Amino acid sequence: MVTLRQMASTVILFLIGSSSLFALGGKAEKDAWMSVFIGVLAGLVLLSLVTLQIQKLEPGRNLIEIYKLYFGKIIGFAFGFIYVVYYCYKCIRNVREFADLSIMLMLSDTPLSVVMLIICLIGGYAVMGGPGVFFRMVEMLLPILLLIYVVLYILLISSGLIDFNRLLPFLEKGFKPVWDAAIPEIISFPFGEMVLFLMFWRYVEFKQFSQIMKMTIMGYLFAGMFITFMNVVIISSLGSFAGWSTVPLLQAATYISIGNVFERIDPLVALLFFTAVYVKLTAYYLGASLALAYLLGISLRIAAIPVGLGIFIGSFWFKSYMHQVNVGFEQNLKYHFPIFQMLIPAVLLIVMLLRKGVRSGSSHKQPSHPTSEESNHAK
Amino acid sequence: MPNDDKTTKQYENEAPKKETKPEQVLIPDLDINIERLHRFLGGGADIVCRTLQHRSFDNARYALLYIDGIVDGIGLNTMLLGLLDDANRYIEGGVESSLYHHLTERVIANGKLGEVNSINKACYAMLEGSTILVVDGSLRAIIIDTTGGKSRAVEEPSSQTVVRGPKEGFTENLRTNTSLIRRIIKSPDLRFDYKMIGHQTRTNIAIVYLEGIAEVEVIKEVHRRLDAIDIDGVLESGYIEEFIQDRAFTPFPLLQNTERPDAACAGILEGQVIIMVSGTPFVLQAPVTFVKFFQSSEDYYQRYDIATFLRIIRMTSFFISMLLPSLYIAITTFHQEMLPTSLLISLAAQREGIPFPALLEAFLMEITFEILREAGVRMPRIIGPAISIVGALVLGQAAVQAGIISAAMVIVVSFTAIASFVIPAVNMGVAARLIRFLLMILAGTFGLFGIMSGLMILLAHMCGLRSFGKPYLMPFAPFVASNLKDVLIRVPWWAMRTRPTNIASDKNITRAGAGQKPSPDQEGV
Repeated sequence: MVTLRQMASTVILFLIGSSSLFALGGKAEKDAWMSVFIGVLAGLVLLSLVTLQIQKLEPGRNLIEIYKLYFGKIIGFAFGFIYVVYYCYKCIRNVREFADLSIMLMLSDTPLSVVMLIICLIGGYAVMGGPGVFFRMVEMLLPILLLIYVVLYILLISSGLIDFNRLLPFLEKGFKPVWDAAIPEIISFPFGEMVLFLMFWRYVEFKQFSQIMKMTIMGYLFAGMFITFMNVVIISSLGSFAGWSTVPLLQAATYISIGNVFERIDPLVALLFFTAVYVKLTAYYLGASLALAYLLGISLRIAAIPVGLGIFIGSFWFKSYMHQVNVGFEQNLKYHFPIFQMLIPAVLLIVMLLRKGVRSGSSHKQPSHPTSEESNHAK
Repeated sequence: MPNDDKTTKQYENEAPKKETKPEQVLIPDLDINIERLHRFLGGGADIVCRTLQHRSFDNARYALLYIDGIVDGIGLNTMLLGLLDDANRYIEGGVESSLYHHLTERVIANGKLGEVNSINKACYAMLEGSTILVVDGSLRAIIIDTTGGKSRAVEEPSSQTVVRGPKEGFTENLRTNTSLIRRIIKSPDLRFDYKMIGHQTRTNIAIVYLEGIAEVEVIKEVHRRLDAIDIDGVLESGYIEEFIQDRAFTPFPLLQNTERPDAACAGILEGQVIIMVSGTPFVLQAPVTFVKFFQSSEDYYQRYDIATFLRIIRMTSFFISMLLPSLYIAITTFHQEMLPTSLLISLAAQREGIPFPALLEAFLMEITFEILREAGVRMPRIIGPAISIVGALVLGQAAVQAGIISAAMVIVVSFTAIASFVIPAVNMGVAARLIRFLLMILAGTFGLFGIMSGLMILLAHMCGLRSFGKPYLMPFAPFVASNLKDVLIRVPWWAMRTRPTNIASDKNITRAGAGQKPSPDQEGV
């Protein structure tokens, strides 16, 4: 089983994930960090009032089982299936980000398909191990990555790159741009993505559900503060330049120079970002595979193969990195993701509250799991 | 008598797994019994049979049988002297009803006697080093434990040397090895469970643990896995290791081995179960975690600060030995901008005339080194200096001068090689060596991206590993804060208050009492 600590670590690294690649809330310019902060708070409301409440009503089931139980076999299957597609699509976006940036920053001559194949393979290897392996992996990675982030910030500060005056003046154009940048974009990415954890919470070992609530929210707030701080660092080191840099924090890192010996540490920083993106894409890959496994009643190892193939092939859909970012930030964040992160969960919660009979009627029954999938769990 | 203090070897419980020969029982005729015993063992010249005749009991005859060379000669002679002395004496109005009882109860001054009624069991006992006493007219034979013979003395272990610490090492003799453990841990809770594995070699195996400290599930699991082994012979603990490890395909060792009794005892005290195999000085320790392979027994004898320093050096060496060549390849091939300009120019100048890409160059040197290392282990000692001259001068310096290999590559490969010897556990060093080659290929094709992909696969693999059910990366994932006191840092002994939780049984984890930190006199005198 997954420990609470592993779950909180995964929440943190999952949220940091690809957020480090972008200057979130770019539209608010200097006040972007305020947008991020508002996003954190709004996301917290969503998380604690909707997402966690769903799990609280059915602590022993994952999202797919809940759909099947409350919406019946056919409608439940349909809802479950669109979530498989949603998780896959999120994973595709991360694979593509990872691959495009790798080629852009490190491997200029390698074909995109090869890089994507490798990414899918390393993701798939972790998924095949099951949730236990993935969560242990994240627990191992989190302290290392946080340590590197701290070193990176210290280097940025000691190189004299950070100038907090670049944050001033606050709210130059009023509060509206800040609010517009935050809602719904920053909720959709990254904070609303906590909806994925509806696939994972049931593996967590807990005595009372309040422990899960507490640890999730603690992890969430830590990640929220971290991302807000990262945003402050980006803006205060790059200023208005942050808005049109491909990977702003990496841009800042290129200016670091340690004693004129290590002048270009950006490939190492890129690896740091990629590791976080890897965690995120593997989390989605795992979520999609688990969802498919429960949907069709097959084992996780078998479900991971079609999901992996789908992700690999789907990654070719975007024409370029810019296309991918554009589709994501201009369309998905505003119109598509809120459906999966807010609308459907809210509907589900209402249905769950209304159909109390289903819950109480089945509470003494053991929830059914595909047995072969159980073998992948850690003890 | 010399053999009085031997602990029980449970012959009766250890029926061979695949008994091919038909069971034969002893009959009252002595000559036929002796003949059958001889035939059962194939009648080798080392089977000794000494027939005696007693003056009492109607001049009854009896015979001693043993296999020469595996019995304790002095003990046997002493016993024989007693027997002869008794045989030549006429006993007035015999107290005992039969010669058999007379011998077992009055004459044989040996600590451990057994009794069998089958030829097969008698022969297996003889093969263990016991002496069989067959009495004419009796349906039973006496087994006298005379196990002995020549074995290596307790010497300093050759594979795990320390500067400070006991100089004793295990030997090939199981009884000597168990006694070495008994001498260190004089607890009545120390348990020795015996097994016999291998239908032909009938190798004795001892499972050693402290009751109440080792986890019951682990002990049961060790028994279960050992009982499941079905093989003709076990010559070394490596045979056992491959049968009982949790996952078949992994470069990482899932069981620890040691030649040092003190290291084995430290493991027992931490709740590990020790598996000793007769015929090898290397005992297995389970369950084990990744970090255990970086602990040397000397860490606990030296002061904690230096021990901590050495441990960090070892961890660093592990990563150097695994990663350095691949990092060199990746940076010189894909990410030259990471190097300081002056270093880059000097490297480029060195590589100017080199015909090979960095990957091929590194492979050439690494394989050359592996061949040299293997030659160093296998060659006769006398040729040693010749090989080192060839290795160092011809392959190193001359290759650079000839423009085949760059000097920087020689430095990288040599440093990697030296770093790989720092890891105290040889089997973990081998893991780093194997992984190094895979990472070199990844680095040569995809640069740092390849190395990172390789490391992620490695991490996912390691997170899935278990040793007797215990996660391999234990104190880190799952995180166990109290176990961190003996991982990267080794805290002083007065702070090492608990055994590693999750390895040892939860009920008994206290190791040292509280408040033992030495403090200077309050007045500072």
